[in-house]
Amino acid sequence: MVADESRKRLVQLSYERIDIPAAYRFLQTPRAGGVAVFIGTARQWTGERETLSLTYESYKPMALKEMHRLIDAAEHKWPIQRVCLLHKLGEVRLTEASVLVGVATAHRAEAFAACRFLIDQLKVQVPIWKQERLTDGQKVWVEGNHPPR
Amino acid sequence: MLSFKVQLFSVLKSKLQTDSVDLETPEGISVGEFLDLACAQYPVMEPYRRVMRLAVNQTYSEDAHILQDGDEVAIITPVSGG
Repeated sequence: MVADESRKRLVQLSYERIDIPAAYRFLQTPRAGGVAVFIGTARQWTGERETLSLTYESYKPMALKEMHRLIDAAEHKWPIQRVCLLHKLGEVRLTEASVLVGVATAHRAEAFAACRFLIDQLKVQVPIWKQERLTDGQKVWVEGNHPPR
Repeated sequence: MLSFKVQLFSVLKSKLQTDSVDLETPEGISVGEFLDLACAQYPVMEPYRRVMRLAVNQTYSEDAHILQDGDEVAIITPVSGG
């Protein structure tokens, strides 16, 4: 993984598997006293509906811009030392990571808050969509209820 | 007249079976009018009109924004990443 010029943030949309140890290595800095990491994974059951796998697509250039914009907003609110926002595209198998949000800050409260903000905002703002492959062979786009702001 | 290639994703791409459609519009058209016109021309989009946004040059744009010749446009239905 290659960090951008500022070396404070790592933003990636890739068909490759998310490299969790590499993301954690990136987040390590002596300036941080806490690292919060959220990993979103492919879930088998949604109520009675069984999912075999997920497939993600994106409007990639805009998605990357939005991911950077969300980090800009988070950096404005909290004193972030390191941050990474990684999303996998293409097929994601059950239990595999589809998204990783990591934040390193001096104290834990800011790390938790910024991490929560980034995943919540990513899920409504960033142009990425998931399709579920179900046990009956159907492929269904997951449609959110609210338009991005 | 202006001519736009409208990028489609996710459910609209599946329903229209293409990743882009062409749309001709009068000059000075706003984002809101553009989305209304797209739904009129491609009625399968109509159920999503209430929740769709138009990205202009890779940025979400307000309904009153006026489109310019050469703008990159994409229709964004509610996202479901994560």
